[in-house]
Amino acid sequence: MTSNAVEASNLKKAFGEKQVLQDMSFGVSPGDVIGVLGKNGAGKTTLLELMLGFTAPTAGAVRIFGHESYSLPGDIKARVGFVPQQDELLDQLTVADQLRVIASFYPRWDSELIDRLCSEWGVNVNARIKSMSVGERQKLSILLAFGHKPELLILDEPVASLDPIARRQFLEQLLTLSTDEKRAIVFSSHIVSDIERLANRIWILKEGRLDWQGDLDSLKESIVRLHIRGAGPELPAFKIPGVLNVRRDGAFATAVVRDWTPEAQEALEKSASVQIEVETLGLEEIFVELHR
Amino acid sequence: MFILNPQSGIPIYRQILEQVRRMVASGQLPPGTALPSVRDLALRHTINPMTISRAYSILETEGLLERHRGRPMTVASQAKNHSQLPKRLQQIGPLVEQTVVAAKQLELSEAELVKAVRREWEQNDD
Repeated sequence: MTSNAVEASNLKKAFGEKQVLQDMSFGVSPGDVIGVLGKNGAGKTTLLELMLGFTAPTAGAVRIFGHESYSLPGDIKARVGFVPQQDELLDQLTVADQLRVIASFYPRWDSELIDRLCSEWGVNVNARIKSMSVGERQKLSILLAFGHKPELLILDEPVASLDPIARRQFLEQLLTLSTDEKRAIVFSSHIVSDIERLANRIWILKEGRLDWQGDLDSLKESIVRLHIRGAGPELPAFKIPGVLNVRRDGAFATAVVRDWTPEAQEALEKSASVQIEVETLGLEEIFVELHR
Repeated sequence: MFILNPQSGIPIYRQILEQVRRMVASGQLPPGTALPSVRDLALRHTINPMTISRAYSILETEGLLERHRGRPMTVASQAKNHSQLPKRLQQIGPLVEQTVVAAKQLELSEAELVKAVRREWEQNDD
């Protein structure tokens, strides 16, 4: 039996005629922090909901701690935490009441941790939820997902409404969870700089497919921008392996490539007699280049 | 101890590799110096711990760092500290290349560049 937190093979999801996710296979191990990136409508939320078993796959399967996600037994569900994009708080309750309601579902609820985080994050436990700002509600939703110490934490754009200070506190808490307790974390966000800090692995979703998955470190090493200079006034014709896009301008060209290696550079410099300077790219640049 | 920039295109583990290699080669980190733990670095810089472990493991394989049970990693004792000249030259190679490319784009002569380097060298010599 697999001990991986998440295991998916050939996962597909269609809503009627519309294919939303196609042929996705992936795994998440304890201690992994997966950053999920994708344009709006790329399928991020659907993917996370499949993992949570909110909806059944059209084909293939996702397994959470070895169990099919769509029919998770209660004791496995208790090992998963989720922060939805739209919070599901009860407006008429106070923060303390809402915390009590959720805590009552979980025997392992860590009220010490939650009390500490409430005071560190400035969440007023006496406030009524309907009077709270979007950012405060988001903080509370996150706390509700932390309290039972889930071994797999899934977050769907959890920080869109948080200010930079609150976001940093949140990141620090997630890092503590992944470092000290080897929790598996999957989170989607448009705030690329957060993903760049927190994630060790990246999934880039594009039109319902996993366009790229792997270590953030390898992503930054394999997708780069080349600045190419020829000897003469016109660059000779040559082919660049793995090219995503290229711009030629007389004796110069710039090209963004994937799967770049030092060996590829040497080979190209020799065969085309050009000089190449490699510019590494931040995650945001990489994301944009993959969508040109 | 480190200057780490997560938004850079250079992966964090590489930033750590380069800085440790440089500091050990220059003697800034003498043999026996303890390095911050993976956890400390991760939390202090708010970065994923795995990229730090990866850097430390590579440096251990290179013989630059030593791992101890239950204690921080240290700079290796029979330090490749003052490592061989060719190796140190190789380390500075990419920076030299960048500088030369920039100088050519600015249409500076070799002599002008060397002069500028010498001036900088002397100013830095205190």
